Amino acid sequence: MVGFLVGEALRDLRRAGRVAASAIVLITLSLAALGGFWLVSSNLDRAVARWRDRVRIVVYLRREPSSPDVAALVERVRTTPGVAAVTFVGKADALRGLKQVLGKDAGVVDQLPANPLPASLEVTPAAAAATPEGARELVARLAALPEADEVAGSVDWVEQLSHWQRLLTTIGLGVGAVLGLAAILTVTTATTLVLHARRHETEIMRLVGASEITIRLPLLLQGMMQGLVGAVLALGTLVLTYSLVAPRLEPLVNLTLGLSQLVFFTPVGVTALLGAGTLLGGLGGWLARAGREP
Amino acid sequence: MIEVHRVSKVYSVGPVKVPALRGVSFRIAKGEFVVLTGASGAGKTTLLRLLYRDDLPTEGDIEVLGHDLVPMRRSQVAALRRSIGVVFQDAKLLPVRTVYENVAFVLRVLGTPRREITERVFDALRVVGMSSRAQAYPAQLSQGEAQRAALARAIVRRPPLLLADEPTGNLDESMAAEIIEALKDIGSGGTTIVLATHQARLAAALKRRTMTLAAGHVVKDEG
Ligand SMILES: Nc1ncnc2c1ncn2[C@@H]1O[C@H](COP(=O)(O)OP(=O)(O)OP(=O)(O)O)[C@@H](O)[C@H]1O
Ligand SMILES: [Mg+2]
Repeated sequence: MVGFLVGEALRDLRRAGRVAASAIVLITLSLAALGGFWLVSSNLDRAVARWRDRVRIVVYLRREPSSPDVAALVERVRTTPGVAAVTFVGKADALRGLKQVLGKDAGVVDQLPANPLPASLEVTPAAAAATPEGARELVARLAALPEADEVAGSVDWVEQLSHWQRLLTTIGLGVGAVLGLAAILTVTTATTLVLHARRHETEIMRLVGASEITIRLPLLLQGMMQGLVGAVLALGTLVLTYSLVAPRLEPLVNLTLGLSQLVFFTPVGVTALLGAGTLLGGLGGWLARAGREP
Repeated sequence: MIEVHRVSKVYSVGPVKVPALRGVSFRIAKGEFVVLTGASGAGKTTLLRLLYRDDLPTEGDIEVLGHDLVPMRRSQVAALRRSIGVVFQDAKLLPVRTVYENVAFVLRVLGTPRREITERVFDALRVVGMSSRAQAYPAQLSQGEAQRAALARAIVRRPPLLLADEPTGNLDESMAAEIIEALKDIGSGGTTIVLATHQARLAAALKRRTMTLAAGHVVKDEG
């Protein structure tokens, strides 16, 4: 019976021909757009999350406190509202850090008559202070410390990134929805053609007492097949694009966003994409059927 | 098998009422071969359509194979039709399928196990003398062959009741005779048959119970 139903659905697909093909193309486009935006957005999302964790506010100190005073200073800053953690970086630590960054050019540092780097406190804001507002308040509070010379750092650009990420997600959803709607309508048209081509079969099926399910399932199935084929093509397009673009983009992304590698869909994401295609197609098939209720 | 009680059918064509059957009553017992005859427009097709629940009577009751046909849900209609074979004046074969596939279609639609299908299809084709044409497409068949294929499709499930509406209407005399012979064979196997025809000569030659309709009334029922 399953073989029969699938066979009938395939026969219907062939009969719908070019319209079914354009329905498939539209489903491919809409899912590729949705999936593409989703990929970009989820990678940006990772970058945002990562940077939220890494945001540091640096308080440069007027002069290096004596070692007994360090603990007291750190403790005082740590209990300031909006602060999650504090690390003291002494002048010597800072210089060592600089040498590390310079690598083989580290010799330059040794030429210096004195260590020019100030001591500093690296402050990790608490989650509540990781908003632009909260961060600004925290910066003001830290700048008010008598020991503070200058305070650097804000979360503004992370928020900017997050803003872009949300905007992209919205655009992606919008484009995907419009294309998805067009896809459903095209599947509906294809199915209406199928209904017409199938009318003799339907008549005979009714005459011999086939169940309504048997009469309708091939229509639903051919719609779902259009959707599934479209989804597989969309997935293929995305995999291909990803494998071409990702290696080229990764160094850049690493440099700007600090993401060491881009991610593709998880198995759940792939399943969702295929499921969405099948659903789109099935919906189109179902709508055509509902419009032709005898 | 069939009980028709005071059945009337009035078609409404816009504001116009067209009476097709007026107070028709009769019974048909299991295994009977009944010829339904009468002039064009007498109501034969209308009556047959009521029997396989293609339409509802305006008034009266119909019982077929133990089903009360008036209050029926869609699933019950399907169940009824699985016990009734129907053939029409035009064979209504599916054009892109072979004779074999056309007959097998009915079995596949109803979920018959695959291994039974071939045997049952060839059994049915043998009864109507079409075994050798199994792989032909409808366009390659004569009208008589097409009608016999349609007959094979109607009996492939071995239904207890067979309704035939002018199955010989499009055929010349010798082809019509073949169909009639096939119907007689099917009838002698115990199938109840109702054959509608406006061809009075053919009806007379059959020598079976003959019901004559005129203007929606049963005017004669004899044999
Ligand atoms: N669907 C319909 N709508 C309106 N009127 C109809 C319909 N079907 C049949 N009629 C009318 O009902 C009457 C009986 O028609 P029916 O088709 O039952 O006759 P018949 O005996 O089968 O005729 P024929 O020998 O030409 O097939 C006719 O007057 C016909 O015009
Ligand atoms: Mg008629």
